[in-house]
Amino acid sequence: MAPHDLRTLPYYVADPTPLPEGIPKVPEVGATSAPLLSVSYFIGARCQAYNDNFMLCRSQSKTPQKDCLYEGRRVTRCAISVLEDINKHCAETLKTHYTCLENANHELSKCRLEEAYLNKCVKTFLNLDKVLPGADGIPVHERNVKILD
Amino acid sequence: MSHQDLPPKGGYPALQWKRNLPSRGFRPSIYLAIMGGISLLGCIPLTRGIRERREYQREKAWSRLYLLPLLQAEFDRDFVRRSTALEARERELMKDHPDWADNKPIYNDGRARIPSFAVLEGQKKAYFVYSDESVDVKEAAS
Repeated sequence: MAPHDLRTLPYYVADPTPLPEGIPKVPEVGATSAPLLSVSYFIGARCQAYNDNFMLCRSQSKTPQKDCLYEGRRVTRCAISVLEDINKHCAETLKTHYTCLENANHELSKCRLEEAYLNKCVKTFLNLDKVLPGADGIPVHERNVKILD
Repeated sequence: MSHQDLPPKGGYPALQWKRNLPSRGFRPSIYLAIMGGISLLGCIPLTRGIRERREYQREKAWSRLYLLPLLQAEFDRDFVRRSTALEARERELMKDHPDWADNKPIYNDGRARIPSFAVLEGQKKAYFVYSDESVDVKEAAS
């Protein structure tokens, strides 16, 4: 039986060819899932215009992968700027929150206290809000009473 | 005349003709009503819980929506990198074939498609956990 862990396979399957010369380089985000989940609403708050522009470009193109590289680079750079700023000002709270998420099966509802500290810090230093569009009553992340666990 | 038996003075004691069973509680309809009332009351936290769970799902969905362009942009760069490498590999392989139309699309709608099959070259790792040394990886991959 083949092992599930790819690191135990006898060989990699990799294509190390770099991007063609004509395409400008951009650093990749490189964050794992829990930090990305932590900062996703702030990425949405700051990079909404870039994200919408990119997705609009993709939807209007027949070869979206090739035509929207410029917009894609702007999206990546904006996301990196958010991550860098949060890491600069709120590194401790961010780390507490994403560690909690890692331990709570990535359920945001299990980490409300940590999230409140992170939201407050980000609001103070970056002036970004977590907005849940179309919320039913008070947004879930601002409620004091939880019905479910 | 003979004597006739008469009741004792003060009459006979009362005869117990009714069964002496303990009380069975209320009528069944009352129990049914109580049960219905409890269920109705339980519907309130149930509804609240369902609504809250829906909000959790929406929160998760919006988080994903905000991350989607970022992940898609990264994947697009990777797609361009891989497809360019694939085309270069094809060109190199087919350079001696005069019938080969370079980079000719399979479909005429002009859309970019992720190839169904890919030729992959394996690279041997420095250490093996499950290794079969008798298999040449380069040969197996080509």
